[in-house]
Amino acid sequence: MYISYNWLKDFVKIPAKIKPGEVASELTKHTVEVEGVTGQAEQYDKIVVGKVLEVHKHPNADRLRLTVVDVKNQRLNIVCGAPNVAAGQLVPVALVGAQLPNGASIQESIIRGEKSSGMICAEDELGLGKDHEGILVLKNSAKIGEKFAQYLKANDVVFEVDNKSLSNRPDLLNHYGLARELAAIFNLSLKPYDKFFKRTWKFLGAKENRLSVKVEDPALCPRYSAVRVDNVTVKESPEWLKERLIAIGQRPINNIVDLTNYVMFDCGQPLHAFDAAKVQKIVVRRAAKNDSLETLDEKERILDNDDLLITDGRKALAIAGIMGGRDGGVSSETKSLILESANFAASGIRRTSQKLGLRTEASLRFEKSLDPNLTEVALLRFLTLLEEIDTEITIGSSLLDVSAGASSELAIDLDLNWLSSKIGQEIPKETVINSLKKLGFIIENGGKKEVNLRVIVPSWRATKDIANKEDLAEEVLRLYGYDNIVSRLPVLAMTPPEINEEKRLERRIKNILALKYNFNEAYNYSFVGEEQLKKLNIDFFQHLKLVNPLAETQSLLRQSLIPGLANNVKANQFKSDDFGFFEIGSVFFNAPGNFKKDATGDDFLPYQEKRLGLVLAGGGDLFDRLKGIIGSLCRNLMTYETEVEFSALDNAPGWSDRQAVAKIIVLGQELGLIAKMNPEVSENLNLKKDVALAEMNFDLLIKMLLNLPSFRFQEAPKYPPVIRDLAFVVGEKILYNDLRQAIYHFNPLIRSVELFDVYVGSKLLIGEKSLAFHIFYQSADRTLVASEVDKIQKELIDYLNKKFEVRLRDF
Amino acid sequence: MKEKLNKLRDEFLEQLAQAKDSDYLHELELKYLSRKGELSQIMRSLKDLSLDLRQEIGELANNVKLELQSKFAEMSQTINNYSNKSGKIDITLPGGRIPQGHLNPITLVQQEMEDIFISLGFKILDGPELESDYYNFTALNIPPTHPARDMQDTFYVDLKNKDGQYDLLMRTQTSPVQIRAMQKYGAPLRALIPGRCFRSEATDARHEHTFYQVEGLLIDKNINFSNLKSLLEIVGQKLFGQNTKLRMRPKFFPFVEPGNNGEYTCFLCQGQGCRVCKYTGWLEIVGAGLVHPAVLKAGGLNPDIYSGLAFGFGLNRLAMLKYNINDVRLFNNGDLKFLEQF
Repeated sequence: MYISYNWLKDFVKIPAKIKPGEVASELTKHTVEVEGVTGQAEQYDKIVVGKVLEVHKHPNADRLRLTVVDVKNQRLNIVCGAPNVAAGQLVPVALVGAQLPNGASIQESIIRGEKSSGMICAEDELGLGKDHEGILVLKNSAKIGEKFAQYLKANDVVFEVDNKSLSNRPDLLNHYGLARELAAIFNLSLKPYDKFFKRTWKFLGAKENRLSVKVEDPALCPRYSAVRVDNVTVKESPEWLKERLIAIGQRPINNIVDLTNYVMFDCGQPLHAFDAAKVQKIVVRRAAKNDSLETLDEKERILDNDDLLITDGRKALAIAGIMGGRDGGVSSETKSLILESANFAASGIRRTSQKLGLRTEASLRFEKSLDPNLTEVALLRFLTLLEEIDTEITIGSSLLDVSAGASSELAIDLDLNWLSSKIGQEIPKETVINSLKKLGFIIENGGKKEVNLRVIVPSWRATKDIANKEDLAEEVLRLYGYDNIVSRLPVLAMTPPEINEEKRLERRIKNILALKYNFNEAYNYSFVGEEQLKKLNIDFFQHLKLVNPLAETQSLLRQSLIPGLANNVKANQFKSDDFGFFEIGSVFFNAPGNFKKDATGDDFLPYQEKRLGLVLAGGGDLFDRLKGIIGSLCRNLMTYETEVEFSALDNAPGWSDRQAVAKIIVLGQELGLIAKMNPEVSENLNLKKDVALAEMNFDLLIKMLLNLPSFRFQEAPKYPPVIRDLAFVVGEKILYNDLRQAIYHFNPLIRSVELFDVYVGSKLLIGEKSLAFHIFYQSADRTLVASEVDKIQKELIDYLNKKFEVRLRDF
Repeated sequence: MKEKLNKLRDEFLEQLAQAKDSDYLHELELKYLSRKGELSQIMRSLKDLSLDLRQEIGELANNVKLELQSKFAEMSQTINNYSNKSGKIDITLPGGRIPQGHLNPITLVQQEMEDIFISLGFKILDGPELESDYYNFTALNIPPTHPARDMQDTFYVDLKNKDGQYDLLMRTQTSPVQIRAMQKYGAPLRALIPGRCFRSEATDARHEHTFYQVEGLLIDKNINFSNLKSLLEIVGQKLFGQNTKLRMRPKFFPFVEPGNNGEYTCFLCQGQGCRVCKYTGWLEIVGAGLVHPAVLKAGGLNPDIYSGLAFGFGLNRLAMLKYNINDVRLFNNGDLKFLEQF
């Protein structure tokens, strides 16, 4: 939103020593962010008035002319494309080096072989309107060589205020509201708004009045004020009015439309003018389903029962508070008008504007909850200004005012001791009272001894902005200035911070994965798409969906980290030979989880769990390497002798290679799975490298780590172990896991079993493999003798032979 | 064929053991290991064998090849590094290249924030990323008509409740964890909440629908604005240096009152004004305020007894500032060339 400095000065007298830059920075510190300050003179820098002396045809282009333009101290050759250029005209000339308001910068150039030193400007290029039909021809009063800003009498400074930061301040979307803030910040006096309109109008009595207003739905339209004005002449607005609107970036249209806009930017109340020729009454009602209306922007709008219409009893005239209809508005033929100054419920306006995708200056204000008291004030302000520019007008109706009833006054108790404790220091009582008063609050009891102030909230702040004493504290504090608050750290009881062990472990795991095993940390999106899941043979029907995804590729909530990790491989496969990624992230399922949906109910959020995903891409036996890493990681996190088991699983995921997929079991708990990527899936995904992936339940891993018995050092056994190496030949279907378990549990003297070789090859039959183990025999209380170990070993071999049909490898 | 292979192997190893310089090595490599070397010739002749034999000999040939290559590499390293003719070694040669993994810069900045606040007695908390409308909005004093609840701003999950409404969403902020924390731990409370958040907006160099926040909450008796200001000053100094100043201005957030924006002295130009701070000398970095009484109530606390302060930082913005990253999409796209720098 643009704010004119000159306009603000209508309402508050700003001493010359306060410069616009200071106004902007103080507003930013105390009220709302001012994003830019631009002087109009600055805006029209290097644009001057010139006189066209000669116009010739361009030798190489039919549509272009060569002109010679006098800009007082020199004559410029300028190539011009406008059809309306003619010798003798006074025109705005942008000199070389000028930066036009529309962003173009002017350079010396050759246009179709002819030199051009500047540009003769059209209206739109100067930011003065939308006309680009031809160059702007100036009045005869223009002086050759004069600065264009001077010619325009443009001496204003324009502030750009950040609209977004005003979401709770409907009272500030206008000049008077900001003037009020300035008065409070700089302690200046604010002229009362009622000095800006006259109250003594000859409204018609009930007998002569022909216009009626009916509001069918007072909840959506708490107040509707209207008046008929006759003897109106629709024409161009006077200069002062156009200047003001141009300064804040609004295009002047005609006196009536311009004045309705002016009043809105003046005091914040949107107005609408209807042509009164055919309208005898106004009925405000909800639209019927499929009612339609062509709005001013020439679009057909389909409405429903939630939308509010302004009608003449039969025909729709406007979508209430948003935009008028194409018919029924003011035109050059209009002789009488009906002026609407109404208050519409914020939620209704918001809903309709949202649904239609139609946001206007009016809807922007209404959806923030406007002060219902404004309707009459704005209407009178409009009449006052209209009469000033057209003394012929007459009033053609009563002052119609349909109101759901005045809202009750809002009073808040403000305990000054509470205020001091809230802010952390005492702010003098006079300062508190003065600040609030400057902002329009009324203090009912400002007596010397009073510590509990009764504060009446002004109507323009009572719509939703100010509701309790905390809100008042902010008013006092922001005017007092955050810079003036002394910083004091809280004095708190010394409590040792509770360490979040889960977070601490998470950090440790991340560090191990990145720094020890060289994984890179991915942050993949929580969203996946059907196409991608199809390629991975992942069933997507059970995935939770977004109602409003940004793209089809991101429409489902992920149930696995695998798709993201596969993407990571694809994105990097040509950048590096071998690499790995890990991610720790949440997955989402359509089943009740552990978190409650609200404080009271028994409903739970969908189940969510954190996963740890790992991927390796490149060459070598990745499946083996990844298993090794997981084993090592677990020994790192748990104990040095933690065994990770990999065992067959029944429901291998569709993306996995059936030959190389396994459950990961740690301390007897299934933690996740590990697999090579199925080559067909790799091809679907266009992966050019071998890929091994693992995914584990991270929450469970953390839980296991937290429940781990504390680690105890064990003294090295006093008696030496006897180590026997045995290589077994078994059928390829016999799993290492089972064989190892059988050996390990065979006799208590077997302390550990370590695989050291796996062989498949020509020395064995087809369908056989050989597994070789170091077997450690050890006793805690004596030195074992060879014969004892021999005996156990023989029994072990017999046992294994029976169980797995093993034989000893003999080569 | 088998004998041939074994003979070749023994021959090669014998000669390799006598290697003294790199010229000799080079000749050895040419003779045995190069594309036209003896080993390759044997490998090529495998195709003439029967299937069974090919499998058997092939395996042997492969093993021999691997063995010879590795032995050769070992020797050539020894010779090149330590045993060149003059006996000198080039001590400026780089060591072996050790591969290394990298953490995401968001993680690094998050850990830095966590450490600051752990040292101030805060505990680190987590919460669900798929949240309810109640915790994400209602409990935080954001009424049903608030624009943040629009479909344009929030990702809703396609599961309707009993009343036929969508009440599940991807959390738009870490603030719902404030309420969950108050309900779980009560007061007094000191918590820091980092996490992933979502907003439905098209992604470009400046906007991401998936981003990271870290938010702090301190609740006790008599927590006041002066405390908030002081705490934010300290955080600024820890993050950006001892001379960092804080400038606060009003800003509306429904869950705090008063609500503020905090700007810190631009650490790149020391407040002189530069491109990054848009020549203002200040960087807008933190949103903060005193916890709104309605929020305390939603958390089950009595606002007449307890008061609190809360603040939030964008981790993406912190990381972008700290490392001079100009495209927010880099954090989530898993590009090695990006990650490798951290």
